[in-house]
Amino acid sequence: MAIKLELVNLRKEYGALVAVNDMSLKVEEGETMALLGPSGCGKSTTLNMIVGLETPTSGDILIDGQSVSKIPVGRRNVGLVFQDYAVFTHMTVRGNMEYGLKVRKVGQREINQQVEKMASFVGLADKLHRKPAELSASEMQRVAIGRTLVTSPQILLLDEPLSNLESEMRHQMRRELHRIQLETKQTIIYVTHDQIEALSLAHRIAVMNLGVLQQYDTSYNVYHYPRSTFVGSFLGNPPMNFIKGTLKSAGGQRLIEQDGARIPLPSMKELAGVSDGAAVTVGIRAETADIVPLGSPGSFEAELFAIEPQGPEAVVTAKFANTLLKVVVPTSAVPKGSGSIALLPHANLLALFDTQSGVRLMNGAAS
Amino acid sequence: MPPKRFTWYNGIGLTLALIFALFPVLWMISTSFKPSNEWVRQPPVWVSGDATVENYLTVLWPSALLEKRGGLTQYTEGGEQKVAEQTGVGGAVGDILNKSAWQAIWGSVILSVFGTALSIIVGLMAAISIARYRFGGNTTPFFILSGRMFPPIAIAIPFVVMFSDVGATDTYWGLILAYGAVTVPFSTWMLKSFIDDLPKEIEEAAMMDGMSRWGAHLRITLPLIKGGVIATTLFIFILNWSEFLFALILAYTKVSTIPVQLSKYFSATEGLLIGVQAALATVSIVPLVIVGFFIQKHLVRGLTLGAIKR
Repeated sequence: MAIKLELVNLRKEYGALVAVNDMSLKVEEGETMALLGPSGCGKSTTLNMIVGLETPTSGDILIDGQSVSKIPVGRRNVGLVFQDYAVFTHMTVRGNMEYGLKVRKVGQREINQQVEKMASFVGLADKLHRKPAELSASEMQRVAIGRTLVTSPQILLLDEPLSNLESEMRHQMRRELHRIQLETKQTIIYVTHDQIEALSLAHRIAVMNLGVLQQYDTSYNVYHYPRSTFVGSFLGNPPMNFIKGTLKSAGGQRLIEQDGARIPLPSMKELAGVSDGAAVTVGIRAETADIVPLGSPGSFEAELFAIEPQGPEAVVTAKFANTLLKVVVPTSAVPKGSGSIALLPHANLLALFDTQSGVRLMNGAAS
Repeated sequence: MPPKRFTWYNGIGLTLALIFALFPVLWMISTSFKPSNEWVRQPPVWVSGDATVENYLTVLWPSALLEKRGGLTQYTEGGEQKVAEQTGVGGAVGDILNKSAWQAIWGSVILSVFGTALSIIVGLMAAISIARYRFGGNTTPFFILSGRMFPPIAIAIPFVVMFSDVGATDTYWGLILAYGAVTVPFSTWMLKSFIDDLPKEIEEAAMMDGMSRWGAHLRITLPLIKGGVIATTLFIFILNWSEFLFALILAYTKVSTIPVQLSKYFSATEGLLIGVQAALATVSIVPLVIVGFFIQKHLVRGLTLGAIKR
């Protein structure tokens, strides 16, 4: 697949504040990429630079291999759907949808055709004459999407498109976006702080924090192989468990020790270059540890702390040394009573991080 | 809030409020039709049984009055006396009756219309740059308003000095500048509040569609704050229409305004021309009432715009 969008060392400073710190990534044509991060992490600034509403301090933006840095906003042939929809409330739905085409000086007959096609695509065919004040929030959202899509942008950018909707509408709109994604084969960049939205809609996720790109990979990899403790904690509900400890060896096996309590580590190539005594953090996703009989090989013990049943599964909280761990297990596997339980992490999904930097250990060194 | 039924105690309350608010206006209109001996009579005359349009003639068409009377009239509390037919009376009385209020009405119209236009144009541009581009940080908007924090006379005196130096006193353009400058703080702040209520994404959306910044402000921002602009315009117009101090000290003979003219009907030597004042005051509210009636819808919308949550 061709590369649709490329960011090259993109940087934005506001005075002393570095909002986006030398960010580089590539988005393939037809792909949906989610920019995920907490508020203030620089994702909206990145979006605004891509569309041209903000000027980068340095770095470059390429669309189809061509730099668009010098092209003013509105001429880049990218479409942005705003978080607050930014529907023109003084115009009808039709007025909103044809606006972009009118500015582009498309003929009225062509405009009517396109607008009607788009209106039925986003399910507003019978509401073209309405004023935005008469529409529901999700219909406003459809107007905003339809208005943008009708100009057939190279890239469709969505800024927190679901955050203003109620829970029920949010599910419906997510399905709707999924359909649009499938039917238009549009390259989509999706800004969100909601990991569920990112995981369910995006092919690739760029996780940002404090202006720095933390990880850019497929949704699967970002979730299962977080590159840093930040990514591990930002994705997943409950978030990844982190156990800080010291790396040791006993009887030919590496282990992590925290206040005398030990977690045996499976043989991992990441451990090759790390010597005993190093401060290491173990990361275990809540659903990647099983409750096993006490004394099972590879398992470690923890004190049962709380059980929260959630229908088919339950969140079991257990205390290991000074750390509370949460694991999600099928309801049938919930331990009875209290006392010690044994937890066995899935060896291939266990993550090790350098405690100091929070960066994942890979092939023997912090990368 | 759900709509409430109109009840009898609402009705009584509203009626009392209306009487309280409108009584001075009704009294003014009633007085404007009274002959001079009824202006300040005790007990008061509510509605004159001897209604006359002479007060209006004095204001709008003094020559007709002169013709009708065959000379100038001295108003006194006891009634009216005919005086000095041939020579005309010198001094202030003669001035008033020889010169109609038309110069003042014309002056008020010119100064209010152009002063308001200037204020709105400058205010709108200032409001957009403050609200959208944070022009001047936090201090500029404050300093714009600070001009209104002193008593107006404190600002009026430097105005007189500056205007005398550049020859702007007693000219229309000078007073238009003054009217615009004095009301710009209000128009800036009012318009800024309307723009603040409008998400800036709506302009960015227009720019995404290929509009320029100016285009987005003119074609998108302006229509969306139309109600606010109309409400602000009317507000500024009323301020200018009733402006007194600057017109009094910056204009002498060539330029006059209704409030200044009103003050000229009020002087010790010729007695209190209350009926004439009331007539001119009544004339002066007519345009405001007409305009207010037509833009009522926008006015209400403009004043409640800030309350509508997006």
